[in-house]
Amino acid sequence: MHLVKTMKGKMLLTLISGFIISIIYFSLPFLVIEATEEPKTFLTHSGAVIQTSGDVLDPLYVASTVEFDPMEYLREFNYGRVSQLPDGTTLREFTIIAEDDKVMEVSPGVFYNVWTFNGTVPGPTIRATEGDLVRINFINNGAKSHTMHFHGIHPAEMDGVFEPVGPGGGQFTYEFTAGPVGVHPYHCHVMPLEEHIVHGLYGVYIVDPKEGRPAADEMVMVLNGLDTDFDTENNFYAANTIPFYYQHHPIQINLNELIRVYVVNMVEFDPINNLHLHGTLYHYYPTGTDTVPSFYTDMITLSQTERGIMEFKYDYPGKYLFHAHKVEFSEKGWIGMFLVKENPDQKSQSGIEYGT
Amino acid sequence: MELSNKPSKGKLIASGIIPFVFLIIMVAYIFGPGSELLDLGVPLPEISMEKINFVDSEILVTVRNTGPIPVEIVMADVNDRIQPAAIEPDRFLERYETAVVRIPFDWNEAQPYLIGLTVGDGTRFEKEIEAAALALEPNFELVGFFAIIGIYVGIIPIMIGLLWLPFIKKIGKNKYHFFLALTAGLLLFLGIDSVEEALKVSEESLAGSFNGALLVATVIVLSFLGLYYSAEKLVKRAIGIGLHNFGEGLAIGAAVGLGSIAFSTFLIVGFALHNTTEGIAIAAPMSRGKTMIGKLAGLGMIAGAPAIFGAWVGGFVYSPFAAVVFLSIGAGAIFQVIITILRWIREEGDKNLSSAAVASGFAVGMLIMYLTSIFV
Repeated sequence: MHLVKTMKGKMLLTLISGFIISIIYFSLPFLVIEATEEPKTFLTHSGAVIQTSGDVLDPLYVASTVEFDPMEYLREFNYGRVSQLPDGTTLREFTIIAEDDKVMEVSPGVFYNVWTFNGTVPGPTIRATEGDLVRINFINNGAKSHTMHFHGIHPAEMDGVFEPVGPGGGQFTYEFTAGPVGVHPYHCHVMPLEEHIVHGLYGVYIVDPKEGRPAADEMVMVLNGLDTDFDTENNFYAANTIPFYYQHHPIQINLNELIRVYVVNMVEFDPINNLHLHGTLYHYYPTGTDTVPSFYTDMITLSQTERGIMEFKYDYPGKYLFHAHKVEFSEKGWIGMFLVKENPDQKSQSGIEYGT
Repeated sequence: MELSNKPSKGKLIASGIIPFVFLIIMVAYIFGPGSELLDLGVPLPEISMEKINFVDSEILVTVRNTGPIPVEIVMADVNDRIQPAAIEPDRFLERYETAVVRIPFDWNEAQPYLIGLTVGDGTRFEKEIEAAALALEPNFELVGFFAIIGIYVGIIPIMIGLLWLPFIKKIGKNKYHFFLALTAGLLLFLGIDSVEEALKVSEESLAGSFNGALLVATVIVLSFLGLYYSAEKLVKRAIGIGLHNFGEGLAIGAAVGLGSIAFSTFLIVGFALHNTTEGIAIAAPMSRGKTMIGKLAGLGMIAGAPAIFGAWVGGFVYSPFAAVVFLSIGAGAIFQVIITILRWIREEGDKNLSSAAVASGFAVGMLIMYLTSIFV
């Protein structure tokens, strides 16, 4: 009997002590936390310096190790494999491969399943001159059907809507004459369309006028959003996918040099987006189809797939912001900076080389 | 056939352990690494923001991983706008691990805020604060303030209630049974009230993975059983009421801590009125024994003083988990006391629990509590 009694006592004691320990663990977590590392510092939006013994959570100032380099994308134009047809027409051939299984770190620590053309969001910038024959060998290596739908003038069967290209290596060749002059989007047009677009299946298609445009430092900005938790609201906004990237890595440009930005709005869910430039105004060519600018402004409003060409120069050196003046978007990543340099860097791009 | 009277100890132990071994092997086979049998569905991350403190130019968020998988906290936002922040000790949270997210932010007093945290797969969690108010820093003045509130709410009303003792002492057996049943009614109401409060807190602030309702049920049963086996009846009742008052103190402390002054005043007045009835609950069963003023006062203290500790805890280190556990312990204790009182009435009252005195006492007890509770 005595043995039983003490065993019961022991069991009771074990139960009670286990209970008390779990209460302490769950209710007083600070007892379990101990400071270990060297303090780190970071800056707030208002410039205050904060020290912490833990980790910094900061998509603005932590150097991104993201797989996609927005700086490289910014000035990368793909002219295709060029050849001459018997009638003298320039043929530009491109190979575009769609995939939908890639998981990319889109912001420090945030991993998102991107669907890509040639491995990036946005897909490669496809560039041709008006009248060229554009041939796109499209391969779908994804697990779902995909297509390529170009905005522009082309035959119905080249529209990429009614000819879904099957998963696992399906192929289709899109062929059309480049036109009209301007800046256009291309994107997958498989239903549910919104899903295929917001996951990243889009890119920019530029058609240059035959006579060319004045020499300029040219760049492409795709305004896009990322709905990382699938609630049909964007968690991030950006110019060229990575939130806050150009704020942390300013785009370097030269004083008094003509800057030409091909801007395409691919934001879904929110009806409009906009673009405000600091320190100067720009000539704006909606859709880039006209050679005479429609506005001289520092603010444009863009609906879905609305796009255009901005041309501007800076008269003073220094740092200038560009961002959505829908401030919610800029506070979620759609903000960047130009660093205008006084002593022109010889390496900066100073002319367009067509047909390379 | 009869088993051997003296089985060897080794055999006995082995026969007790062997089924366990098989059980462990089976569980390991089904759930263990490499097992694909139950590889169904996708485990989703879940975090809970258990506490949000507004301090000087900074918002402090205590976050716990309450999901089935480890998470990495990667981003913080205020009102759905991304903010640079820090997380201490680090951003990797194992299951049930907590960390504090520090968001430097010039918040405005009394303004509502939505605090959001994003985990590595891009899922965002948010919690709303109705009105920002400076978090209470423990200092002597505040400790004293809470102690005074605790005395007003817990000790003084119970002592006033105890003053009914001489009255109860002089009445006849039937009326005495009425008062005993009244006590049971009062306590039953308090018990139900505690359960309701515990469920409410677990619903509002405790993550789903704690199984709030089952946690409440388990703690109530454990506390009931624990007290069932322990000794002194009166002390038990006082402890039961004390734990209940601890819960009331928590509520008041938390309300003051959250800056809702009007609500906390309301709670203080309501609980104070309410708690005089708890004095009767202690006094009634004592009235047949020899009155010892010291013991009576001591019981009053046991029952009332936890309100002070509750206010301290609620005001300075509020934790929903602790609140749920304490409230449930209190409820279990109260239910156990009710059983004891009923048994007592039955033994004293000719094995009869359905006399008019008992039934009406019980009913009046519940009614009194309900009416005084309206003040809260």
